[in-house]
Amino acid sequence: MKNCVRIALPKGRLYDSGTALLARAGIEIAPADGSRKLVFPDRDGRFEFIPLKPVDIPVYVESGTIDAGIVGSDILREVEADVYEPVDLGIGKCRLVLAAASGLALPAAGSLRVATKYPRTTERFFRGKQLHVHIVKLDGSVEIAPLLGLADAIVDLVETGRTLRENGMRVIEDVASVSAKLIVNRTAMKTKSVDVRHLITQLDTVVYENPGQQD
Amino acid sequence: MNRDIVGLPAGYRDLLFRDAEVRRGIENEFASVFASAGFREIIPSAVEYLDLYTRGNQGIRERAMRFLDREDNLLALRADFTPAVARIVTAHLRDMPSPVRVWYSGPVFRKTDRHRGQYQEFSQIGAELIGGNPAGADCEILDVALNCLSKSGFPDASVHVNHAGIFRGIVNGLGLGASELAEVRSAIDRKDMRALGSRLEELGVKGSVRGQVGTLSRCVGDSRALAAAASSIENEESREAIASLESLASHLPQWRERITFDLTEIDEMEYYTGVMFTFLSPAHSVELGRGGRYDSLMREFGTDLPAVGFSFSMDSLGECA
Repeated sequence: MKNCVRIALPKGRLYDSGTALLARAGIEIAPADGSRKLVFPDRDGRFEFIPLKPVDIPVYVESGTIDAGIVGSDILREVEADVYEPVDLGIGKCRLVLAAASGLALPAAGSLRVATKYPRTTERFFRGKQLHVHIVKLDGSVEIAPLLGLADAIVDLVETGRTLRENGMRVIEDVASVSAKLIVNRTAMKTKSVDVRHLITQLDTVVYENPGQQD
Repeated sequence: MNRDIVGLPAGYRDLLFRDAEVRRGIENEFASVFASAGFREIIPSAVEYLDLYTRGNQGIRERAMRFLDREDNLLALRADFTPAVARIVTAHLRDMPSPVRVWYSGPVFRKTDRHRGQYQEFSQIGAELIGGNPAGADCEILDVALNCLSKSGFPDASVHVNHAGIFRGIVNGLGLGASELAEVRSAIDRKDMRALGSRLEELGVKGSVRGQVGTLSRCVGDSRALAAAASSIENEESREAIASLESLASHLPQWRERITFDLTEIDEMEYYTGVMFTFLSPAHSVELGRGGRYDSLMREFGTDLPAVGFSFSMDSLGECA
């Protein structure tokens, strides 16, 4: 039945660096034949690739519908999927931070409204600090929420910090450092162990032992 | 409240005709294997005090479906069979032959995450062997489990076998605190070997022991793979655990093709104390069930008896049939 190892690839910012890393590990997507297929084989027919929206990847891999995937640790922590994460791929590095308008002091007590795309991660972060917050879940342009008065602060990804500065905000604290991970379904690790282990070893080697040609 | 009476709440389903017949067929085959192996059926109550699940496995308690009785006692729908079996055996031990051989089949209820496509009612079938000689009991229960699979239409099902003592023996001598040990367990559970290696180094664990943890993380295979792992491990507890796995397999030559030694998986909840089983359908890439030795659970119920058992997901069996 499903004997080929299926790998979910994240559409968006990690797609190019993720496929480049797989290619350096000797796992290359076969050239597109112009059709509108949703599943692509690799050159050796050993793997199959399925491009998906990143936030959906942990759910597919946890359920076993797809055997492995590449996904940012920000999403992995948010979804809390029960999967293996054998290789930190070292790509897509950025930080998840708590940010607020410059000049705003966070209240030591009382409640704070925080806008974020990461409600669970945010809740865990503030629970760890024993601070009570109201979380506003947004799906995009989180940095504008304080300007418009929807929230006092945000928890969001930053790469350079430019967007924050342009919106008059500053980083208050790091919530987590983020990078892309290879994730693997728990059962596939056992039932498809030869190919899954090959994938893990190859990626681990190009990331940690042969990082020379990183683009 | 005006709810559609022909609908069902989220997380539940009906099984009709063909699906029901498939399950009935599997259950009948299991029942006849159990009967010929001397296991007798019990039907534990579907409702328990929530506190039953406080012993042994904390994770289950969090996920139990709870409610109050007339006296405001916290109750739960059955969330797991094994604690119920431990309760029953403890209460009725004097009336039972030793060792106790029981089997059960029925639904368990657990809260699952919303919108992940998971059901909250699961169907399980399994058996427990309480008392007796542990090495013999491990063999007997694994033989019964593999017979059940073989007779009910899963002749190619395989079992991955591990022993909790192997990992325990390696980490016991390290002098790690509880929170550090939990971190190490969690990194192993995620199979994040680089993070684990650097964490162990930070904790001052010496290189030879880090090497042993690395060996476990790669050990999957037949008795040669097990022997290779054994050669790098020095402590007594781990070596005894490995020897007991070798002995287990040597007593079950008829199942040699079905057994894989897999030392990579640890039991994060520390529920199992000895041998551990994971049953798989390679053709469908599906986990069918789990089992193992849990000597400390019976002790928590006040009966200091060794115990070993297994439990299959009837939902997975039904899907793969």
